Amino acid sequence: MRSSITVAAPLLVVLVFPAIAGAQSGRGAAPAAPASYPPYTRPVSTFVPPRTTDGQPDISGLYVAIPLPRGIETPLVPITNRPNRANSEFSYSLNERPKLPEGAIARPVGVDPPDGKIPLTPEALARRKEIIANQEKIEYLDGRVLCLAPGIPRTTIPAPVVGYQILQKPGYVVIFYEQSHLYRTIPLDGRPPLDPNIRKAMGVSRGHWEGNVLVVEVTNFTNNLSNNWVIGAISATPGVPAESLTTGHGIPHSDQYRVTERYTPIDANTIHYEARIEDPKVFTQPWTIAFYAFARAPKNYVPVEYACFEGNDKNLLLMTNTDITGIRVAVP
Amino acid sequence: MKKRIIVTIGAAASLVVLTIGMTAGVAHAQRGATPPRAPAAPTASAYNGPRTPDRKPDLNGIWQVLGTAHWNIEAHSASEGVPAGFSVVEGGSIPYQPWALAKRNENFQNRLMADPLRKCYLPGVPRAMYLPFPFEITQMPSHMLFAYEFAHATRTIFLDSTPHMEDLDFWMGDSRGKWDGDTLVVDTVSLGDKTWFDGAGNFHSDALKIVERFTPTDATHITYEATIDDAKVFTRPWKMSMIIYRRLEKSLELLEYECAEHVYEKLFKGRGGKP
Repeated sequence: MRSSITVAAPLLVVLVFPAIAGAQSGRGAAPAAPASYPPYTRPVSTFVPPRTTDGQPDISGLYVAIPLPRGIETPLVPITNRPNRANSEFSYSLNERPKLPEGAIARPVGVDPPDGKIPLTPEALARRKEIIANQEKIEYLDGRVLCLAPGIPRTTIPAPVVGYQILQKPGYVVIFYEQSHLYRTIPLDGRPPLDPNIRKAMGVSRGHWEGNVLVVEVTNFTNNLSNNWVIGAISATPGVPAESLTTGHGIPHSDQYRVTERYTPIDANTIHYEARIEDPKVFTQPWTIAFYAFARAPKNYVPVEYACFEGNDKNLLLMTNTDITGIRVAVP
Repeated sequence: MKKRIIVTIGAAASLVVLTIGMTAGVAHAQRGATPPRAPAAPTASAYNGPRTPDRKPDLNGIWQVLGTAHWNIEAHSASEGVPAGFSVVEGGSIPYQPWALAKRNENFQNRLMADPLRKCYLPGVPRAMYLPFPFEITQMPSHMLFAYEFAHATRTIFLDSTPHMEDLDFWMGDSRGKWDGDTLVVDTVSLGDKTWFDGAGNFHSDALKIVERFTPTDATHITYEATIDDAKVFTRPWKMSMIIYRRLEKSLELLEYECAEHVYEKLFKGRGGKP
């Protein structure tokens, strides 16, 4: 017997679109042969953004995530049409769905290696299977469900909390994420990475502009809990192989983990995202994901506070029978 | 029998929430009088520091309050782990209603368990401003964004004349500001009743309204004043003030205090939860 519990992660105001919650179950069919897609090529953009006062390409503004069509997180998973459920072909629902730029093809997010599989070492793959098999235990639970900072690139992989504010001030690009009030300040002055003893859940970012493309090297990631998972999509999906990106559960990383991000403005409304992921202790080779990530937000869209951890104790009690209400930590 | 738990982070509520906020402006205008404010600043300002292209004082950068307000905004002697400190409250003590003073004293007795910060909850306003952690300001003509090192808390202060969202509570409140000469004046409402002003149990209700005045006196100092109005808890509006210092270390950047991680570190101790 299988029981599915869908839990809305904490919000100050708990309002959940049922379509988001519903789309996860009932996809246990054997994977079909991968659809054939043309090989990935980096988008070449002729769009020239305006300039900021300090001469940066100006990509600032409020964006929302472009939802990934379901099933393209990896070619290992067949697209399931379920026409009776609104929005089920997408990974989450929006009233006004941002559109891909003209001519863009929706294709698997994993672009290198071309088979879409995450090149996990045998040890890492075994670890991931263990994590997926133990989701009723809190120490194996998805860090995002614990309200830990999801890291990079996971914060950019579309989730139901979709607002992204890109701000630019002299010498910096700043990103405010609506998800869990996360933020990054990306210095552009070519400074070296921080001392390896300093670790951050969101990593330490160093950026520069290559033409109109923002390139960011991210290093120094935290790895202090087994639940710090910096890659992955939204939820565990039954029947999805552990080599796939689809489930958010348990792609491990080590102290060697690093990401190179490329933000390419395609037109005045769209930013394409590419992340090259390296970790010699976990992956047999570097691998790359790429997708059209951000679209300018609708005019009336205002990001609101997403206080994840503050409301989460009841969820954890329900999901894992773990009571964290009595835990107090010493704050400086 | 296998039980699989499927978890969805369900949080697309934002869009719904927003439309609710749009109609809040009228309600705001009808709520009681705003706290008294200092007379408008004279046109000549003492500020001679750098300015942004739109001629506002340039507050971009990393700042921090020194002092002990985080532990206790009133005058206090040292105790274990707590440095002694002066009161930041104008007139010395907070004008509590009698029941509220008793409640504060009870909070103080229970502070090690009851301080919301020790559960890693967002610190709220104004406490976020004087935590013993730096914060970074990103200044736009239409917004001021505050990023705090503690628990990656943030505030977005709208400078675009949009109305408050008043029918919802936010841990960090809903802040709308405007420049009054070289002083940034910020109104914050919708703070809820779950945050404290400090670690000593000083508290407020959901009727709290705050007016903050950020007056830069030179390139590296801001005089910070917060007028606290909460008719359910205090006998009158009252004011706290302190100095915000610019952090001048070369190549400084915000690090992280991921408070929730430390909760789980405690929980997982001895449970094999290490990576």
